[in-house]
Amino acid sequence: MTLRKRLHTPEEIAGAIEQMANAILKDCRSVNCQDYAFVGIYQQGVPLAERLCDAIERLTKTRPPMAKLDISLYRDDFGQRSALPLIRETIIPFDVNEMRIILVDDVLSTGRTIRAALDALTDYGRPDVIRLAVLVDRRNPEFPIRADYVGFDCNPPADHKIAVRFDAEDPIENGIFEVEWE
Amino acid sequence: MEWTRKDLLSLYDLSAEEITFILDTAEEFKKVSERKVKKVPALRGKTVVNFFVEPSTRTRVSFELAEQRLSADIVNMQAQASSLKKGETLLDTVRNIEALQVDLVVMRHSAPGAQNFIAQHLKCGVVNAGDGAHSHPTQALLDIFTIREKRGHIKGLNVTILGDILHSRVARSNMWGLLKLGANVTLAGPSTLVPREFESIGVKVCHDLKEAVSNADVVNLLRIQHERQSSGFFPSTSEYARFFGINCETVKLMKPDALIMHPGPINRDVEITSEVADGPNSVILEQVTNGLAVRMAVLFLVAGCVQK
Repeated sequence: MTLRKRLHTPEEIAGAIEQMANAILKDCRSVNCQDYAFVGIYQQGVPLAERLCDAIERLTKTRPPMAKLDISLYRDDFGQRSALPLIRETIIPFDVNEMRIILVDDVLSTGRTIRAALDALTDYGRPDVIRLAVLVDRRNPEFPIRADYVGFDCNPPADHKIAVRFDAEDPIENGIFEVEWE
Repeated sequence: MEWTRKDLLSLYDLSAEEITFILDTAEEFKKVSERKVKKVPALRGKTVVNFFVEPSTRTRVSFELAEQRLSADIVNMQAQASSLKKGETLLDTVRNIEALQVDLVVMRHSAPGAQNFIAQHLKCGVVNAGDGAHSHPTQALLDIFTIREKRGHIKGLNVTILGDILHSRVARSNMWGLLKLGANVTLAGPSTLVPREFESIGVKVCHDLKEAVSNADVVNLLRIQHERQSSGFFPSTSEYARFFGINCETVKLMKPDALIMHPGPINRDVEITSEVADGPNSVILEQVTNGLAVRMAVLFLVAGCVQK
C-alpha cells in the first residue's frame, strides 16, 4: 500500500446517509408505498443498510425490514480466482414478491456486483421495484447500471481502490478512503 | 481462511480448518435447496464428468443432482460402457476425458488411490466419490455435517462406528475427519472385521456392543455385505444381528439423545431393525438430504479456483 487518503469523515458519511434516507422516504411517499425494504450486499452494504434503516427509524419511528445478501453463487468471475472466501449467510426475513426493494452497497464501481445481486435477489421472487443506493459512486461502470441514491461521487484513477469503513475501534480508521496498492 | 484446492481426494489431506470451511459452505447450500428456486448459476458453463468405474446409485444420483443445482453440464460415464473394457489404461481414459475440455471429474474406482493418481496428471479438478476401502470423503463430510447440525459441535463427542470397518472407506474417512475435529472415535464390531491395528492412529477398538454404544453420542452403522459371510468373517447374518445388530434393546443402552446414522443402503434386521431405522434417534434420511448440500459445497469450492 503506497497511498491511503481519507476522502470523507464519519461525520460527513452520517450526513450523506441522512440525505439518502430522506430521498428514499420521499420517493416511497410519492408513490404511496408502504411495503419497502432494504437489502444490504455483503460485506459493507450490510452495515450501510443498517445505518439507512436507523435513519429511517429516526424519521418515521418505524424500522423497515432489512435483508443481507451474499452474491458468491452469482458472480461472473467464478473459476477465475485463485482462492474462494467463505460464503456468508443470506438472510431475507420477508417475502420479496411485490416489494419495493432498496438494494444497498458501499461502492458502485463496475456494476458487476449489482448485476449479480439482481440475479440473486430475483431468485427469491419478483419485487415490484428495485432501486440502488450506494455511499460512493465511482462513475466507471462496465455495465449499464446506475445508482438511484448516491452519497458521494468520486473519480479516482482506475487502479485506485475506494474503501469504506464504518466500525473500526479507532475513529481515525473510519471513513471513505482512496487506496493505491503497489 | 480461503479455499485453494482444485481436488478433494481424502479428508486425511485436509486440515481441521478446511473441513470446517466445507461444512460452513454446505450450510449455505442447504438453504439453497430449501428455496423455491433451488438452482444457482455458480457452475454455469462448467462441465463435470461423473466417471463411475465401480457401480454406484445413491452417491452418483446425489452428485448429479448437486451438479444440476449448480447449473453445471453433466456427462455420466460408467465402466461397462467405457474403453477400459477394451483395454485402455485408466490414465488414457481420463486424459481423453480432459481433452474434451471438462472442468471437473467426479470418480469412483475400486482401486485405492486411483483418484490421487489421476489428479496428479490432470489439470482439471478431481473429486473422490469412493476408492476401494480407502476413502469416501463426501460421505464422511455429510456424516460430520449431520452430527454438527444436530449437536452444534464435534469436539469432545463420542462417536462409535460399528460394523465392517476392515472393508469400509466410509469408516476410514469418518475416522480421519472426526479425529481432526476433536471427536473421540470408537471402532466396533466382530474382531475379524475390526483389527486392533487401528488403535495406533488414536481410536479405540471395541469388540463388545454394549461397551461400544453405552457412552456414545453418535452410533454410525455400516452396511454388512452378505458376501463377507461367505468369506468367513462371521458365521451368519443372523448371528451378526444377534451380537452386533442395533435393536430397541440396544437403543435403551445408549444415551437417550444418541444419533443413529447409516450411510445406506440399510439391511433391515441385519445391522439395524426397522423400529430403530425408522425411530426417533435415526437421522438416516437427513444424512441423504445433507449429502446434497455437502456435495454442492465441495463441487463449488473445487471448481471455483484456478491453480496458480
